[in-house]
Amino acid sequence: MRRRGPGKVFPGMILRVPAVMFLVALFLAWEDAPAIADEKADALRDHTPEPGIFPPKGAGVYLAGDLVFSDPINRRGAIRKGGNMPRHYFAMLPYGMVWYHGAPADVRDIPPGTHMHGRFLLPMKGEEEAIPLSEKQLKRHPDARHNHAILLEDDVSFYSRQGRSWKVLGFEQGAGPAPRLKLSVEPVGPEIEGGINKAALFDIDGSTRIWKGSRLVGRDQVAPGQQVQVNLTWGPFDSLATTDIWLDDASLAAFREVQRQRHLRLIRSRFLPGWVDVVKNGDTGGGEITVTFFGGMDPSLYSDIRGMKGGKRTTKICNAETTLRTWGYHQEYSSHGNLLEWKEIENPPPGSSGFQARFKVGQMLDGFRPGRIVRAKGPWTYVLLPHDECIMTPEDLESSRRMVLP
Amino acid sequence: MTRRHGVSPGAEVKALARLAGAIVIGSLCLLANTAAALEPVDSKTRQFLESHCFRCHGSKVQKAKFRLDNLSTDFSDPQVAQKWGEVVFRINAGEMPPKKEPQPAAAELGSTAEMITKKIREGAAARMARRGLLEHYRLSRQEYAHTVYDLLGVVFDVEAPGAFNEDPLWHGFDRIGALLSTAPSHIDRYFTAADTVVDLAFPDRELPSKIVRRAPKKGTRQLLQLGEGWGAFDIRSPGRYRIRIRVSGLSAFTGRAPRLSIWHHQRKKSFAGVELAGSEDKPETIEIESLFPAGHYQVRNHARSQRHPNGAYRLFRNEEVPAGKPLASLKGGFLSTRTKIVDEKGRPVMPLLLVDWVEAEGPLISEVVQARRMGVIPEDEDGRKEAQGSLKRFAQRAWRRSVSDSEIEPYIEFISAEQEAGETFRKAYKSALSSMLVARSFLNLEEGSPGKSRPKVNDFELASRLSYFLWSSMPDEKLFAAAQSGELHTPDRLAAELDRMIADPKIQRFLDSFPRQWLQLHRVGMFQPDPKLYPGYDPWLEESMVMETTAYIEEMFRKNLPIREVVDSNWTMLNSRLAIHYGLSTPGQAKLARVRLGPRSQRGGVLTHASILSLTSDGTRHRPVHRGAWLSEAILARTPLPPPPNVDPLEPVEKDQPKTTIRSQLKAHATTPSCVSCHAKIDPLGLAFENFDAIGRWRDTERVEGGVGDDPAVDASGVLPGGKAFADSSEFKKLLAEDDGRLAEAFIEQLATYALRRVMTVDDTQQLRSIVAKAKADGYRLQSLVRGLVLSELFQKR
Repeated sequence: MRRRGPGKVFPGMILRVPAVMFLVALFLAWEDAPAIADEKADALRDHTPEPGIFPPKGAGVYLAGDLVFSDPINRRGAIRKGGNMPRHYFAMLPYGMVWYHGAPADVRDIPPGTHMHGRFLLPMKGEEEAIPLSEKQLKRHPDARHNHAILLEDDVSFYSRQGRSWKVLGFEQGAGPAPRLKLSVEPVGPEIEGGINKAALFDIDGSTRIWKGSRLVGRDQVAPGQQVQVNLTWGPFDSLATTDIWLDDASLAAFREVQRQRHLRLIRSRFLPGWVDVVKNGDTGGGEITVTFFGGMDPSLYSDIRGMKGGKRTTKICNAETTLRTWGYHQEYSSHGNLLEWKEIENPPPGSSGFQARFKVGQMLDGFRPGRIVRAKGPWTYVLLPHDECIMTPEDLESSRRMVLP
Repeated sequence: MTRRHGVSPGAEVKALARLAGAIVIGSLCLLANTAAALEPVDSKTRQFLESHCFRCHGSKVQKAKFRLDNLSTDFSDPQVAQKWGEVVFRINAGEMPPKKEPQPAAAELGSTAEMITKKIREGAAARMARRGLLEHYRLSRQEYAHTVYDLLGVVFDVEAPGAFNEDPLWHGFDRIGALLSTAPSHIDRYFTAADTVVDLAFPDRELPSKIVRRAPKKGTRQLLQLGEGWGAFDIRSPGRYRIRIRVSGLSAFTGRAPRLSIWHHQRKKSFAGVELAGSEDKPETIEIESLFPAGHYQVRNHARSQRHPNGAYRLFRNEEVPAGKPLASLKGGFLSTRTKIVDEKGRPVMPLLLVDWVEAEGPLISEVVQARRMGVIPEDEDGRKEAQGSLKRFAQRAWRRSVSDSEIEPYIEFISAEQEAGETFRKAYKSALSSMLVARSFLNLEEGSPGKSRPKVNDFELASRLSYFLWSSMPDEKLFAAAQSGELHTPDRLAAELDRMIADPKIQRFLDSFPRQWLQLHRVGMFQPDPKLYPGYDPWLEESMVMETTAYIEEMFRKNLPIREVVDSNWTMLNSRLAIHYGLSTPGQAKLARVRLGPRSQRGGVLTHASILSLTSDGTRHRPVHRGAWLSEAILARTPLPPPPNVDPLEPVEKDQPKTTIRSQLKAHATTPSCVSCHAKIDPLGLAFENFDAIGRWRDTERVEGGVGDDPAVDASGVLPGGKAFADSSEFKKLLAEDDGRLAEAFIEQLATYALRRVMTVDDTQQLRSIVAKAKADGYRLQSLVRGLVLSELFQKR
């Protein structure tokens, strides 16, 4: 618990013995150091995000669990830490990043049951009602309020990102009421916060896909001493079961590329998200807007937009909500933007791409206001979105503001 | 002969052969009188021709079968003028004298070409001004519209598609008699128009005046952002209507005020409007009473009409908004994909209109109009005598002169014939009235008498001349009575009528029409500025530009200001749109009003009005030579020589070349001696305004597309042909204003051209100078100059 400095002072001693006072002060300082650190840690943990401002590094809490529910249209879902644990419902922050198979992804790309690692913050200002919480949930689950994800990633993304792999030690036949074959591994690489940092046994059975090169191979290809990557899911008695094992870099690279292409297809049709930093209104309906694009996207997408500077084609910029859902036919409800300036920010905060663009627009949309979300179209082919992905009516907007729990 | 650029030798020979053929045929009658040839050409020109032309085109040798030494100098003969024009053309094109021949000095070449051109112009003027015993000056279509309104109270939209042909212009004037011919296509349209006018004046079924009201849904107001229009009412019968609108007009956060227009949907044109600067919670009720043609009308927030990327015109908001909700609350939410209404501080981002309701009342038939129509159709259908009397009275008004019974008789017979054929009296009578409106005497101003030569106009002709000059329409009863009394031509009576006419509201027609024609304001927006280069340009700005200049001249006329202020002053007429365009602080009021300018504003005088600076531009860049030519023509009444054909246009700056100004390019461009001599006179007049871009905005550097390096700084300095130097437009304007006698001379020539409907010739010079001389005492004031012209001998000269 936190201890406050003033409560530990004895005033009489301070007045009588300055030397003692110094020692006491020194002692108190010594005693206060962890208190300040705790305060900082608590502030970071309970940081409340604000529109237009990216959170500091380390903000929020780390949680992991299987994805058991998802609302891909609104970028929301729920993870479950164990069989007896309550669901942790979450919404992605507008700049929240998802990684799958080592590549940028979206909630819609994650199959149910995938074990995910995430960092969750308190709701962004104005989004407090997005995840409705009952008193019961709050009591049972202390982190329930931290329900806005800035990062969500599967095991392979989580561990490989941090330079970690698994060394196969062999197979072990389990015992007990539900005996299962286990893959015995030990971690290779640095210790990771929230990760498994010791030797582990993962269930393996006929449903486990084992990849080598570009092929699906049999269990006989798994040999002690190999360094592998795995994706996990729930197993009986809260064990972890392997869904996929990648035996080599080539196999993982193939998966990564497939996911990357899927991500490119998604963003090219839904446009690159970011938020408005600054607006300069003209008095005939046009003006300038400065946008910082969100992070976690494939670099080529940013390059595509940057490459439009000085060219004949214009960027199209449309409004989006914090769910990143755009309005109606987003192609039409958009404004043409000429890229005037492209800036790169060093060491961008989490959620930011570090790329800031200033556009001249012919039509200043009402949603072009500081802190509001926009999506910008690069030189990509326009496709019509499924209607239920767009916000078509005020009712759509209203219903998108709150997660409907299953 | 040497080759012209881009013409093959074979083609050249053929062209010359054709020319020579024409010359031979056309000159047969001239050969008989060789002695008279070249007589009126001055000795210097003759000497030049002898030295440089006759050796190849004289009595012994006629290269290309062209003989010059016996070419007539009767410049009033069109064929002769055409041949001399060819001579000028060859000189200007640098073809003559051929390069292998001894070359004259540039000045000598220039003065010869100028001399011949001058003679040609004088000939042209003489031809245009050549008057027979009876001259007809057809009414322009605008005058026709005013005349039928003043005659019968009928609004006839002469500019409607299919109504009347556009009138040809001469240096901006649309009323030059020599140009206003009457073609078969006109006749057909005049017949249709006459029937329409009579039917509107005397409809078979009277359209009662009524009030039509439209309002948005209860509890809402119609929000109109820039360029948006709201269908308000329909007018079935053209006429005078009273439009009342309850509206809030909100300026943008920059001070840009909205312009409410009564917009004719089919014609895509504003027929009335008002600038507003009010508040959201204090709507005002505005009332506009004006003449409106039939059609569907919108209340429009007049500005640009920008096309939406998806192809639709609608771009900004045009929707009902809650009346009780503050505007500042209308942001974000479901409407966030639409155009922003208020900025982050709750202020309108662009000028807005919030309309509560619109009422249109009409057609309003005033007592004056009723009086005009009264008695035109006799009540007694069987009374031949009454019919004759009614027709005669109508004819005298319509034809603007005394009419004899014999002139009416055919119409009476026509009515009888129609009745015998089964038509009703009313219908037959209306047909007769229509016929009177296609009569020569109605469609033209007639001056002179068929069998008699007279040097002066009679009183009826004078009345028409005066009323068409100041009112663009027929004389009213008082003026007609003055003519009938035979006293109109007397100085006192004429002065009294002039005073009365200037005080009449119809003088507005002169104050609007004359500046537009004199200063050629029809050219504003003729070449629409490229929206990529000039995104701020919009139709309301364009209208405001013209309004500034016409209102400026009106102010000068009403306050009787000296002519020098046409070119240099410390004031102008400004509205918020122009203030933004000029980079000046927004005036306190939204409407166009006189404002005093600071010493650095650069805007005093019409020469630095955006209208004038833009009318010579081509949509992409300013054109200093055209600016100079306009100034010479409109302000100094000196039309420069036409440019020779086949002049290479200025090329855009190459990508790898340093950026360079148009001025520098022009310098390199004018290479031949004839080019240099001419450009030396025109260019300084235009280059003085280099600090103004193609739409009249101030600039210090010239934007150059392509090329490398920074945009170059502009240089607006120069030297006038008389040797006086100036550093910029301000100094140039001061130099020009100092020579106010010259300005007055040029102005009176333009005014007389407008008033007398013909080009001034050398025969008029003395009388024009006399008017100017009389106006000198009070500093050549504008209204005094108009009075001087009306009371002059010239004004009554046929």
